Amino acid sequence: MGLVDRGRMPAPLTKLFNMSRSYSLWVYQWGLACCAIEMGAAFGSPRYDVMRLGVIPLPASPRQADFVCISGTVTDKMAPAIKRLWEQMPEPKYSISMGSCANCGGPYWDSYSVTKGVDQIIPIDVYVPGCPPRPEALLEGVVLLQQRIKNEDMAAKWRGDEYRNNRREYEVDDGGYRTHGVSGDPIPSNVPPREPIVVGGGPIE
Amino acid sequence: MAPLSDDQATEESDTDTLALPGDGLREGIVDDLRERIGDALIDAHISPNDDLWVRVTTDGWKDTGTALKAAGFDHFCFLSAIDWMPSPYGTGEDDPDAEPKEPDTEIVQGVTGGETRLQVFARLTDLDRHVGITIKADVPDDEPLVDTWTESFAGANWHERECHEMFGIGFVGHPDLRNMYLPTDFEGHPLRKDFPLLARMVKPWPGIVDVEPMPEFDEEEKNDDQKEDESTEGESS
Amino acid sequence: MTMLSDRQQLSYIASQAADARLNVELETEGMTLNIGPQHPATHGTLRIICRLDGEQVVWAEPSAGYMHRGYEKLTEVRTFPQVTTLINRIDWLGSFANEVPFILAAEKLMEIEAPPRAQVIRTILFELSRIANVSLFLGDLGVQMGAITPVFLAFRDREYVLNLIEGATGGRFHPNFDRIGGLKDDLPKGWIDETRQVMIKLQQFCDTIEDLLFGNEIFQSRMRGIGIIPADIAKSYGLSGANLRASGIDYDLRRDQELPMAWDKADWRVWTHPDGDSFARCWVRLQETRESCKIVEQLLDQIPAGPIMTKVPRIIKVPEGEAWVATENPLGEMGYYVVSKGDLGPFRVKIRSASFNNISVVPWALKGVYVPDVITILASLYFILGDIDR
Repeated sequence: MGLVDRGRMPAPLTKLFNMSRSYSLWVYQWGLACCAIEMGAAFGSPRYDVMRLGVIPLPASPRQADFVCISGTVTDKMAPAIKRLWEQMPEPKYSISMGSCANCGGPYWDSYSVTKGVDQIIPIDVYVPGCPPRPEALLEGVVLLQQRIKNEDMAAKWRGDEYRNNRREYEVDDGGYRTHGVSGDPIPSNVPPREPIVVGGGPIE
Repeated sequence: MAPLSDDQATEESDTDTLALPGDGLREGIVDDLRERIGDALIDAHISPNDDLWVRVTTDGWKDTGTALKAAGFDHFCFLSAIDWMPSPYGTGEDDPDAEPKEPDTEIVQGVTGGETRLQVFARLTDLDRHVGITIKADVPDDEPLVDTWTESFAGANWHERECHEMFGIGFVGHPDLRNMYLPTDFEGHPLRKDFPLLARMVKPWPGIVDVEPMPEFDEEEKNDDQKEDESTEGESS
Repeated sequence: MTMLSDRQQLSYIASQAADARLNVELETEGMTLNIGPQHPATHGTLRIICRLDGEQVVWAEPSAGYMHRGYEKLTEVRTFPQVTTLINRIDWLGSFANEVPFILAAEKLMEIEAPPRAQVIRTILFELSRIANVSLFLGDLGVQMGAITPVFLAFRDREYVLNLIEGATGGRFHPNFDRIGGLKDDLPKGWIDETRQVMIKLQQFCDTIEDLLFGNEIFQSRMRGIGIIPADIAKSYGLSGANLRASGIDYDLRRDQELPMAWDKADWRVWTHPDGDSFARCWVRLQETRESCKIVEQLLDQIPAGPIMTKVPRIIKVPEGEAWVATENPLGEMGYYVVSKGDLGPFRVKIRSASFNNISVVPWALKGVYVPDVITILASLYFILGDIDR
């Protein structure tokens, strides 16, 4: 995509690409603990059927995955492996942290061997709270992630910049070329940093 | 070997439950063990219709395993240790406004007593007589070493590795005392009482605080729900 | 080593020969294969390091600890009612069954007993969690051999059981429903009829799985005669549950010890299998699921009237003492050795989890097998990571 490489993208094309990306997400299922079973129920069971959302729960390899769902307790012994596999995933990549343990340590907040939150190791896009969250909650997390992808400024992502939203309030006027939602401009100062989404709302501490 | 068909394969199990072990059987086991290991048996305790504990000397630890295996206790249940020193840190959930309590330093051993801070204990089961036994032994304070049980019970291998990692107790003759759970560079022995949980130290307990006020009940309702009330309130405190 | 099967003896000799051959030119070279820690075949984060000669495992060693959460230390800083929240998560597929032995141990120290109604409901929920646990095992078994359909069936029918558990306790996964002295709540209205219907569905599920999987020729040829564990090895490694009974030992803690539970009120049987191979272990589990359905069906008719909580003090302090209680959990013998010093919380809790012992036999069982058999042996031993690492 030459246009993307040059760092400029017309709005309709961005929209088309983002929609295509958000409905063909390949997920790498990182099942660690109890949440892995609920993730299995959400991704692998006929009752919840994640494929209707356009998520393909098949890849066994991180190298072909679009987003990773980290579900369960992350221990200090496991943390290097998570970092390594996250680095193996191709850009653009996203992450969902599922369950209290992955979010912040959960019931093991005072343990000597548990990492208190996977966001210390990799950046997280969507947090799904719960111990474990119901499969429906995870599906909502997936939907929120898809919305985030739809709003994304692709070229900025391509350049390796932080996540950037191409919503109206972040527009800048660089004179002439741009219309609504053309990406590739330098990030203006009023763009907030990459903010994670929490299923069910609420602050992150 | 030729696979058996399911009809042949299924053995009819005993439908009559075997007689449950009585205290007489347990006394017999203690006598039998005393005959086998002699003076190494220090103390025995029988909780009526419940369970059996014996304590043996540190030197007799290995022989006890062998003797009990010969006596029919051939199912290895677990092996672990207890640190009898009271924790110098407490649970970290004392009232923050109250005077700090004087930490308890007296070491009191449990059933069948003991003389040292660390004790190893193991449990074996006799699957035919349906009876179990808990064996305890002191671990010397200056040199925490006991003999390994791996020769009698292959399953003790992992349990001793875990025990070594968690308590710092060495097992003489164990083939491979690597860490079981924690990374190799982990410092300290977590299950020793003097190992602090740092997360509890840096974030002190705020005291019992109701984050959300409990909904108020009518007096009558309270009486009706008293039983349930009791159980839930017991937890929160 | 006289108890070795012919197959294992041969493979042992072959592995010895393979070792000797390593120095000879133009022969296969040894290779170290690292399976895990995150690998689809290990369902969870168990890492297995295998030394291979060609297609044969010469030496294998599981490396645990990727899920070690420090339960035994954390119980020392929790109060007795708080501990049940924690120990739910040891064996996360059969959560309620984890709570029962700990609560029973605390009750034993306090010298109280739950009322008969609570005992029967406890037993029903215990068996429901066994069904929820083992049904997923039965579905997962197919996935290990490349058959995807059974896992969909398992997830579908397991949801019915989870709905029941949720209906009674409020939690799909981690009910935290058991209290010292009884249960938190009574059963909701209509629950008994619904349970009866679900039990019929689950028995049909067992029949389907038996037709689909156990009668399948591929399944049989990959399971029969593979991974044989003789009885004396099983005992010395401390195997328990279906793994022990599949080696021909007739021992079930539900029947063979006295506990204030209601298993003796139902008519059921303990299944054993003399083969000790992978097939036997899976087959025993299938039969156990059926027996569990029977137990639940019978106990539903026998729930006595009465309270569900006995009198317990507002703030629970457990008297000084030591108690050991083990029950026959879905994975095997799960026990708690609880030491109390008369405080709000336990002084020391030794958690004897079934999978830890069941998996410690892996280095022995994998010696001399072929790489594809590693997966089936591990699957048939059936472990849950939280239960190994705690």
